[in-house]
Order: sequence, then structure tokens, then C-alpha cells
Amino acid sequence: MDLNVKNEEKGTLVSVTGRMDAVSSPEFEKELGRLIGEGNVNFVIDLNGLDYISSSGLRSVLVTAKKLKGVKGQILLASLQAVVKEVFAISGFSTIIPIYESIEEAMTAL
Amino acid sequence: MKNRGLAFKLILLILSSVTLIFLLIFGYSYMYSKRIIVENVEKNATNLARATVNQIDIVLRSIEKVPQNLSCVLGQSLCSGNELNNLLKYIVQNNKEIYGSAVAFSPLAYDDKKERYAPYFYKSGGEIKYSDLGKASYQYFFQDWYQIPKELDRPVWTEPYFDEGGGNIIMSTYSVPFYRTVDGEKGIAGIITSDISLSWLQEIVASIKIAKTGYGFLISQNGTFVTHPKEELVMNETIFSQAEARGDDGLRKIGRKMIHGESGFVPFRSMLTGKLCWMVYAPLSSSKWSLGVLFPQDELMADVARLNKTVIILGVIGFAFLLVIIVFIARSITRPLSVLAGVAEDIATGNLDVLIPEIKTGDEVGKLAQSFDYMKTSLKQYISDLTETTAVKERIESELQIAHDIQMGILPKIFPAFPEMSEFDLYATIEPAREVGGDLFDFFFLDDDHLCFNVGDVSGKGVPASLFMAITKTLIKTRATKDMPPEVILNQVNQDLSEDNPSLLFVTLFLGILNIKDGTIEYCNGGHNPPYIIRAGGEIEAVETTSGLALGVMEDFSFQSKRFVLNKGDALFIYSDGVTEAMNTEHKLFSEKRLEGELYRLKDLPVGDILAGVTEKIREFAQDEPQADDITMMIIHYNGSDDSVI
Repeated sequence: MDLNVKNEEKGTLVSVTGRMDAVSSPEFEKELGRLIGEGNVNFVIDLNGLDYISSSGLRSVLVTAKKLKGVKGQILLASLQAVVKEVFAISGFSTIIPIYESIEEAMTAL
Repeated sequence: MKNRGLAFKLILLILSSVTLIFLLIFGYSYMYSKRIIVENVEKNATNLARATVNQIDIVLRSIEKVPQNLSCVLGQSLCSGNELNNLLKYIVQNNKEIYGSAVAFSPLAYDDKKERYAPYFYKSGGEIKYSDLGKASYQYFFQDWYQIPKELDRPVWTEPYFDEGGGNIIMSTYSVPFYRTVDGEKGIAGIITSDISLSWLQEIVASIKIAKTGYGFLISQNGTFVTHPKEELVMNETIFSQAEARGDDGLRKIGRKMIHGESGFVPFRSMLTGKLCWMVYAPLSSSKWSLGVLFPQDELMADVARLNKTVIILGVIGFAFLLVIIVFIARSITRPLSVLAGVAEDIATGNLDVLIPEIKTGDEVGKLAQSFDYMKTSLKQYISDLTETTAVKERIESELQIAHDIQMGILPKIFPAFPEMSEFDLYATIEPAREVGGDLFDFFFLDDDHLCFNVGDVSGKGVPASLFMAITKTLIKTRATKDMPPEVILNQVNQDLSEDNPSLLFVTLFLGILNIKDGTIEYCNGGHNPPYIIRAGGEIEAVETTSGLALGVMEDFSFQSKRFVLNKGDALFIYSDGVTEAMNTEHKLFSEKRLEGELYRLKDLPVGDILAGVTEKIREFAQDEPQADDITMMIIHYNGSDDSVI
């Protein structure tokens, strides 16, 4: 899994590529935790390059969302691949974490 | 070389380099000194030859003077017989160079009555003797010394000859014609001679001392040997006859140059000893003779040879000394090294208690020994640490194994479940991943007709997940009571899990309640993969979602229930994402599509075999890729109720 962080006008864009599983998702959790610690509160997560997400990956997203809730921030997911989108849908996570078709849409929604 | 020791290689390399350097220096010094010596030899030889030539010239010139002067005297006036005899005697007596002297008159020139008259005085036994060469036995008219100057009308040095009946020795004669004017006509009146004893000349030439076997020789203008240490050559041989005898073309060329009055410095083989020599040759200015002087090479080079011998001996001694030193150094390097090599071998076989010898040389080898000792200690420490760590790890693993066993232990294991119930067949299987996982399933009756069943999957893996799984399973079992609809059970379990969940674990859960009398299933899906209904007719349908969230994520989430009916022969297939997300070596997922295909393929088999068939297919798909997640499946086949039939 690779993370690419970019500061945009309205928030921080984090692009995730590869796989988010039990091995790699702690890295996502740690990096986002660091960014939040630096004072970033508004995140758009670009999941266009994410091929697979396991329940551990979902948990990392959830942990991040909970952290942001504490600092009145938000996390928006954008351009999910079908297989990942399905995981979010099945687990019901799509009902608590906003999902957008494109980065632009997500940025606008921030 | 390849398998030899370090010491051998060192010795070989250093000594061959040293030898090469020594030979180069020695060779250069030899060539250089030889060149200098040859240059000196040439210079000295030329000087010596010139000096000798001068010396001989002086002698010969003094010999030439006498008849030349006498010719003037006799040309002026005719002295009486006595006067002439006294003059000749006086000349021979007072010129040590002159062996004998004669005045040989032309026929009738001395006396009308005397056909031949030639008074001759010569040295013999310390006395001066007289002889008239005009005697009949001598016939001087036919002698070279008389004829040649007369014919050539000029003074001449004769070839060496044995003056038989005259001086009776080997000699060479300088003959000068003298003239008289008779009746106004000038004519040769006779020949005045002075002889030089060749043995006496030989002594002069022999006095040239060159090293031990060097010598000088004279040849006449015809190439005849005038003097030579080898006496039989004198007068009898020419330099050309020698060249012929020796088959030596070089000698012939040298001879030619010599009689042409040239001078030079050439290599030459001695006619006495056969040794290689250098030869200087130079012409006499008086006669047309040529002097050759031989310098034996080996004797002149003796100094160089001696120097070379000394250098070689010194070289050999130095070489031997160097050999000893190198052997000593090489040994002192390699001895501790071979000891270390032995120790290393010991260590390699696992003996870490071997004592490393203390090497106090302070050089690289000493440092190596120190490092070696350090390595041994570190290795020992490392192995001891590793042993300890391994023991700890083994303990943890065994504890994890126990945790795993306990986890599996709380799941139902006997299938078909409820064999006494004819309305349905229920099979379930869990293929745990290597680590402790978080899948769970359970089924139990809420009352006589209602079977509550559930399949869940806790996020993450390991001990936290398995504890969370145990809690979830227990909560469901305790919360679910008679007449409680699925959404209420999920609401309550979610509430319990969410209330105190610091690690934010969650569980996806599908929970259904089957009315065994009519096949109705009321269900609620908390974020779990939608199960499949396998219709008796073969259609595979996914169970409609209830848009439920995974449990433990959000308090107060309100779950919704839905229902569907299983007709006789229909089956419900519930699974965890370990099935669809099983991966192969190319990281491809097993996927819903493949699962649906398998279910369709296996649909007509006995229900227990369907689960085994899917498991088999997953294994086949995954090949060598290790299983990452628990694989859980449950199937409920509805056989219909006796009541419903009635």
C-alpha cells in the first residue's frame, strides 16, 4: 500500500494505492493520525488506486473517522473501485462515511 | 600456486620480483662496464700500437739512414777498398740495430777486373766478421735485396729471408741504390744494404707485453710474417696463407687492409691460443709493413668478470638472506592465521567455547584475532538471546494455539445439527486461518419452532478479534430470547458492543430466525456479505440487503429486519468474506461470481457435500497462497414441514 499526501485548498488529499489489509492498514491509521496531529482536519481520501480493503482496512478508516469526529473534522471517500465500494456498502460503512464519485465532488462537499 | 599457502605465495612473488630486479641491474651494470672497458681497451690498444709502431719506425729509420747517407758518400767519390771496409765495419760496430751492412757493386763498377765485389760486415758471436758476397757461392746478382731495388731504381725493404752464405740468419734488408756518372751518364753503381735481424726485431715486438697472452706481430707488404711469437710462421707463412688454412675470411679481409696501410680495431681469434681477442693494426711509416697487436678479451675483462663474480656471490647471499627473512615474516603472519583458521573451523562446527589464542602482535592479524574473539562472544550472546527469544516465542505461540483451540471450542461442531429434526438440514464449517481469527457462527432454538442462526466476522485478526468474537457470540446467545425479532437482537448486541469499545473493533453479522413450520426466515444483516438462496429449481439469489451497519461501530443504530420464505428444497447459504476474498498467488480474489458458479454446480449434492465442495474449490484456487482469513460457511436446507404438507 502506498500513501500520497497533498495539501489542497480546502483540505488534505490522501491517495491510497494497493491493498489495505491487516498488514498495511496500521500504516494508513498512523499516517492519518500524524496528519490530524499536525492540525489537518478535513480529508478527502482518493481510493481510485485501492484494489482491495479488508475488515482491518475498514477499521482503520473507522478509527480515523472517529478521531476526526472528536476534532470536528471530516473524512470523505472519493472515486472508489467497484469491489471496494461493495465492501463499504455491505458493511454499512457507506451509511456513516460519505462516499463521492470523484475527488472534485468530494472537495466541493468539504 | 593455487592451493599453496600464503607463505609460499609471498615467498615466490617477492623472490621472483627481487630476482628480476637483480638481474636487470646486474645485466645493465655488466653491459655498461663492458662497454666502458671495450672503449678503454680500444683507446689503450690504439695508443700502444701507435707507440710500438713509432718505436719500430725509429729503429727502422735509423737503419735506413745509414745506407742512405752512405749512398751519398759513395755517389760522390770512390773510396779505396780499405776505407770502405773500415766504414762498413764502423757502421756495423756502432749501430746496434744493424746486423750487417754491405755494398754490392754492379758488375765491374768497383774494378774493371772484378765482375762481382760486395764487402759485407756482420755481427757474429760478439765480433764483427767480414765476408765478400762477391764469392761464387753467393751469387748476389740474383738476390732479392740486390735485384729489386735495382730494377725499381729506389730503396726497398726486402721480404724476410734466410741469408744463406751471408749473414746466415733470418733477416730483412734495406737496400739503397747508389749512382755514378760515367761518361756523362748517370747509372746505378751498386746497392748499399743494411740488415736487420728479425730475431732482434722479434725481441722489440715481443717486448710489447699485453696481459698474459697478448702479443704483437709484423707483416711485410706482401703479408709475410716478419715477426710472430710462433717462429715457424716468420718468413714461411703469410697472413693470407693463414687465413686460407683457418678458412677465415675475416682474417683475409684484415690482411688486405693491413697491407694497404690501413689501421683498425677488430675482434680476432688468437693464432697462438685460439682465444677471442681484440686486434689493433697500424702501418709502419718507414717500411710498408704493418703491425698487429692482440688483446685477449677474457684477460682484459678479468676485472669485470671478477666484479661480476663478486656481484653474483653478493646477490646469492642477499637472496638467501632475503629468503630467510621472508620465510620468517611469512611464517609469523601465517602461523597465527592458521591457528585462527583452525579456531574458525571449530566455531563453524558450533563449538563457541573454543579458546581464541591471544595474539599480541598489534598488527592486522592481532586485530583479526581480537575481532574474532569479539565475533565469538557476540555470536554466543546472540545465540543465547535467540534461544531465549525462541523459547518466549514458542510459549506465545503455544498460548495462541490454546486460544485458538478455545475459540474453536466454543463453536458448534457436530453436523448435521439437530439430526432429529426432519424439517431442515444444517451444516456449518469454519476453516480457521493460521492466526487466531474472528469468524463466528451459531444456531439455537428460541422456541420449538424458531431456529435462530447467525454468521459473523470480527474486523482484524489475532487475540483482540478472537476475544471480541467470543463476546459477540455470548451476547447474541444471551440477548436472543423467544419472540424477539432479529432487529431487536442486533440493536441490543450493537448497543452492548458499542458502549465500551475503545479499540473500535466491529463485527459484521447476519442473523436470521427460521420458522421451521413454514420456512419463513426473518433476518437482519449487520454489514455482512449477503447470503445466497439456492432455490430448488436451481436459481441462485442473493438475499436482499437490510442496509445494516456492522455492529460495534455506532451506538443507537437502528437495524431493520426483512423476511423471505424458503420453500421445500430451497437452501440458504451464508458465508464470511474469507470465502470470496480468498486469494491466489496472483492476488486475484475468489469473488462472488466464482462462488455463485460453484453453488450452481454443486446445488444438487447433499448439503454437507456442498460445503466440502466449495472448500475444495477454494483450496484449489488459492494453491500455495497462505490463507489470510477464516473461511466460514453455513448452509440450511429446508425440507418442508410435516404440518405444512398437511
